[in-house]
Amino acid sequence: MNYKELNWIYLFISHIKRDILINSRSLFDIVSIFGFMLLIIILFPMGIGPIQEKLDIVSNAVLWIGLIIAIIPSLEKMIQRDYTNGWLDQIATSPIPLEIVLLAKSISHWIIVIIPLIITSPIFAILLGLEFNQIPWLILSMSIGGLSICFIGIIGAALILGARRGNVLLPVIILPLIIPILIFGVGVNESIKIGLSPLPNLFLLIAFSLIYLVISPFISAILIRIAISR
Amino acid sequence: MFDWLANPNRFNRITNKIQPILLLASLITIILGLYFGLYDSPKDYQQGHAVRIMYVHVPSAWLASGLYLLLAISSIFYIVWKHPLADLMSRSTAPIGALFSLLTLATGSLWGKPMWGTWWVWDARLTSMLILFFFYLGYILLSNAFERKIDGSKSAAVLAIVGIINLPIIKFSVDWWHTLHQPSSLLKFDGPTIDGQMLLPLVLMIIGFCSFASYIIILNVKTKLIEKKCEALILKLNLNEISNIR
Repeated sequence: MNYKELNWIYLFISHIKRDILINSRSLFDIVSIFGFMLLIIILFPMGIGPIQEKLDIVSNAVLWIGLIIAIIPSLEKMIQRDYTNGWLDQIATSPIPLEIVLLAKSISHWIIVIIPLIITSPIFAILLGLEFNQIPWLILSMSIGGLSICFIGIIGAALILGARRGNVLLPVIILPLIIPILIFGVGVNESIKIGLSPLPNLFLLIAFSLIYLVISPFISAILIRIAISR
Repeated sequence: MFDWLANPNRFNRITNKIQPILLLASLITIILGLYFGLYDSPKDYQQGHAVRIMYVHVPSAWLASGLYLLLAISSIFYIVWKHPLADLMSRSTAPIGALFSLLTLATGSLWGKPMWGTWWVWDARLTSMLILFFFYLGYILLSNAFERKIDGSKSAAVLAIVGIINLPIIKFSVDWWHTLHQPSSLLKFDGPTIDGQMLLPLVLMIIGFCSFASYIIILNVKTKLIEKKCEALILKLNLNEISNIR
């Protein structure tokens, strides 16, 4: 195909299709992430005890922490496989802009990993005894927050390319960056609980997602070029 | 200015002159500051003698955040101008900064026990210092995580720069979280409006800590320079041996 025919939107969509296709061949990964989150959600009430009042205090935080802990191990795989089999070297030396590819990668990771968790999140919410009017806000805040976690995660995954014990290093590096997302994500539902408008927290969450949307493809592209030049 | 300092020999020559002055200054000011702080300053009317922890706590907190700025600036110099000395600078700054932030957390928790009644409170200040410590930890771990040490330098420098962008965001979000969840009842930090007798030892200690930290960092950079020279020398000797055998 002639490269002049390739425009960026076509590239973007075709890379998302590619990643979804690759991941759909190994559905076990996605199921294991779901199972991990379910485990966390089940274990918390067992530790706290069957008292609903106690559970109400922590339920939002438990949902968010379950989401973050379940996603973190999968973030490393976002570009690790393409790095080890040399696909990223090919892309970096080709005229295709690396930034577009990385943006597509984080979006497709969001589609593959976060969307299933969000679809099933009403189950988790019922398990923790959340009220029904909170569930739409939970879905909204989790999908926006999950998007920014994916943007942060691709920076982290690019940082540890080629490092020894990278899977241990990744949580230490990205957890400080995820803290604002956690605070405002939990804040959305907490403010409904105390009868305030959830919009301020939601807008801040959207603001963080937009900031990371702008900076993450460029930073991770720099890091991948550094990793490839090693 | 940094271009000019980037020459290792020139750096050695200048720091050879500066180092004894820094050591002397830090010794004198820390001894004087400790004397004034621990013996010759009034105890606080509310906090009693426990206020004397401040003379270690405040300077180390300043240094912990100041050294992160130094780390980020030298990382920018390494990424943009690729001076190897800037890399050594940030590599030797990071452990010192991590130690100072740990010292801040430790003295803060020692101070918190008699004053607030707990060792640890999830207050905005404490939390952001803890996050700063994690950034230092991430830098140190990442910069040493590669087979060849030099491989980690660039990635770790990018991490330090991302950290400096994110630190205000995190600080702001933590502040906000604090005011949302935990109205400050425990931690009215108004305390004493500092008077002259307390200010003198504090200023002395800050000067002393700063000069001590710069002395240690320069020492660290010099050690790393010597290490590099040794490595190059060993490589050269090995090459000679190989060529002799042939």
